[in-house]
Amino acid sequence: MSNPIREKRLLDITGADDLEQLRVIREREQNKLAIQLSASPADEVVESLNELHDALIIQSLKLAENELARLGLGAPPVPYTYVLYGSGGRYEQTMHSDQDSGLVYEDAADQADEERFRTYFSQLAETVVRYLIGLGYPPCEGNVIASNPEWCLSLAEWKKKLDGWFADPSWENVRYLLIAADGRPVAGSLELAGKLQDHFFNDLLSHPVIARRMMENTLRHKVLVGVFGQLLTERYGEDAGSLDIKYGAYIPMVNAFRLLAVQAGIHETSTLKRIEALRQANLLTAEDADNAAEAFSFFLKMRMLTTVSDEEGQLIGTGKIPPEQLTKEMTAPLKKALKAGKKIQLRVQRELQRRFGGR
Amino acid sequence: MIKKSLISLGALLVLFPTIAFAEDPSATQLNMGLNALWVMLAGILVLLMQGGFILLEAGSTRMKNAGHVAGKTIFTVGLASLVYWAVGYGFTFGGDASESVNKFIGLGNFFFDPSHAAVDGENYPSSVFFIFQLAFAAVSLSIAWGGFAERAKLSAYLIFTLFFASVIYPVIAHWIWGGGWLAKDGAQDFAGSTVVHLTGAIGALAATILLKPRIGKFNKDGSANEILGHNQVFTALAVLILWVGWFGFNAGSTVAIGDGFFGFVAFNTQLGAAAGAVSALLISWLVNGKADITAMLNGALAGLVAITASCAFVDPWAAVVIGLVAGVLVFFSAKFFEKIKVDDPIFALSVHGAAGVWGTLANGLFATDELSKKVGIGKAGLFEGGGWDQLWVQFESVVVCGAFAFVASFIILWIVKQVIGFRVTEEQEIIGLDLSEHGNYGYPEQMKKAGTSV
Repeated sequence: MSNPIREKRLLDITGADDLEQLRVIREREQNKLAIQLSASPADEVVESLNELHDALIIQSLKLAENELARLGLGAPPVPYTYVLYGSGGRYEQTMHSDQDSGLVYEDAADQADEERFRTYFSQLAETVVRYLIGLGYPPCEGNVIASNPEWCLSLAEWKKKLDGWFADPSWENVRYLLIAADGRPVAGSLELAGKLQDHFFNDLLSHPVIARRMMENTLRHKVLVGVFGQLLTERYGEDAGSLDIKYGAYIPMVNAFRLLAVQAGIHETSTLKRIEALRQANLLTAEDADNAAEAFSFFLKMRMLTTVSDEEGQLIGTGKIPPEQLTKEMTAPLKKALKAGKKIQLRVQRELQRRFGGR
Repeated sequence: MIKKSLISLGALLVLFPTIAFAEDPSATQLNMGLNALWVMLAGILVLLMQGGFILLEAGSTRMKNAGHVAGKTIFTVGLASLVYWAVGYGFTFGGDASESVNKFIGLGNFFFDPSHAAVDGENYPSSVFFIFQLAFAAVSLSIAWGGFAERAKLSAYLIFTLFFASVIYPVIAHWIWGGGWLAKDGAQDFAGSTVVHLTGAIGALAATILLKPRIGKFNKDGSANEILGHNQVFTALAVLILWVGWFGFNAGSTVAIGDGFFGFVAFNTQLGAAAGAVSALLISWLVNGKADITAMLNGALAGLVAITASCAFVDPWAAVVIGLVAGVLVFFSAKFFEKIKVDDPIFALSVHGAAGVWGTLANGLFATDELSKKVGIGKAGLFEGGGWDQLWVQFESVVVCGAFAFVASFIILWIVKQVIGFRVTEEQEIIGLDLSEHGNYGYPEQMKKAGTSV
């Protein structure tokens, strides 16, 4: 945090008092980071970028609170936490990630309060989501977003919801649990977020079968490297020749380490931190951990190079590296990283299969 | 009443079998009868392969063209039969030409009028042989349609059939099977890897070059799109029908029961097809990361095409090798044609062309001395101690036949293109040939629901 450039940026953001200013800051800072990407290590850029996203979200929340006060709804009636899921939760957002979010607030004492809280926080969530869309963060396609009433609940409601997902591990519910596992508080009460996370892990302990269901839920994304070490690129269509780095490298690694970490009761949400924690817990050898971290950092960097498509003014990453960028110098380390990723994916699969048996 | 009399007649026949036959048949007659029956059955099997082509082409293309694809196959089989009867058969097997002319083309037997029964000394009636040969010509023609698919005018089909069944196919068949110059050189093509498959595939190549790719197959930047066929089950069934029909195609080409050699030919055929299916699925799995059904089906066909030339000349282990190589070859060949932006909707160029060339050349590698002598054509291949000679003859026959088929097909289709136009209009192609060429959809209910933009 001693970086003066970052501190200046943070001051700019906390000083901004309307959306337009925030939008200008975002564009300016992202352009700077894009230039840095070629010179600096990827994890540094990713960290700086995620710090930027966090700051923008926090400031947008503040602006939304102000707006609600201006409308006569007052200040937040009880402490709340704004939670990020998906890549935001993992502190791995790219320049063009979408919003995956939820909101949790303190329980009410009686029914009247409950109604009042619900009204306030649903309006807050809706406002901040709208603001963030204005800043160029497209809403989550799967509707995992705070403005969806299903993802904007009191602590008690959240617990009940988690219990329900654990009790009925259908494909869709397991998917929700996988999303919840990456939840990270970005603003508001950390205590509240901690309580929710503890509840998640307690539930997990009493439902050991969930780990296997989680594995089955994530198996279909294979690392895109063939038996001859060749890259498995898209064969047809607009993206022919490009490599789907998101689903063919990044996501399989995320899935594998999420699974290992959640199993081990590790509360970290970022993949690199999960790898580090697994090493500390002696669940990964130093060599494996180094290889995994190196490969994953490489994927993070590659993900920054993926094609961006413009959908109705919102920039959305396709997660694919275009063929022009798959040069010789690029493919050699890429293949190496993919092979390491594939090895890890297979290892996790085998280990869980051994523990729980095949289907 | 009818039933009762039939039963009593049957009982009488069992009791007094001599009533049915005035006289015991001679051994020669029995031999002729058995041969005739086998060749006829084989001819029927080969004709039935048209059912395979209908399903193969319809399944691999889109719904809006299904009726056209299916119907035009039957129509062109009809037209080709008349043309082959009138002139094609005579150019292939006619024996009236002088020796120097006969090297290149046969003459005689035009508007073929076979005897009513087998003549003394014949192994089977010539009418049966005609049916059998006609079925082969029709298969070769249907292979060529792969290059026309989804965009050629119906009139182009008509004109191409006239020339293909009268000249292009008969000339090549005469060279190799009708006593022409390649037959004299000892070219081994037992059931037609070159004569039938390569010739058809080269016709398809000429057509697809002149027609250019289907709308939407390639993007501006040169990348390909996948135009999926509308029914993979049809395609798989097609392969099964072709596979079964192939027993007529290959084993039937012994044109005799004799000492039972047709069984060995059928045996090799099964091994080649099986190996092709297996290796194609595995190679697609290894290279693309997903086991591709279309590739596997093409592999089975490629195994069949490749073993067609060699089924009577090689040992069983070689049949397996030939099939395995064909399956791998067809997979990479399909990738290659897509890369050079040749649109080959039914994979005719890869399945019948590439595998046809391979099968023909394979004789030059694997043909054994014993089997070459048994069939009475050519000699042993490179790996069987025969040296390079046979491989050279095989190579020569592939190049010469391929070149002739290409030039002839290209000229005919080029003239068609200049004079009446070869391809339907863009609008017709988009609404589909069912509607534009025939006025009705093959799947009326589905197509009306989806509107005309499919």
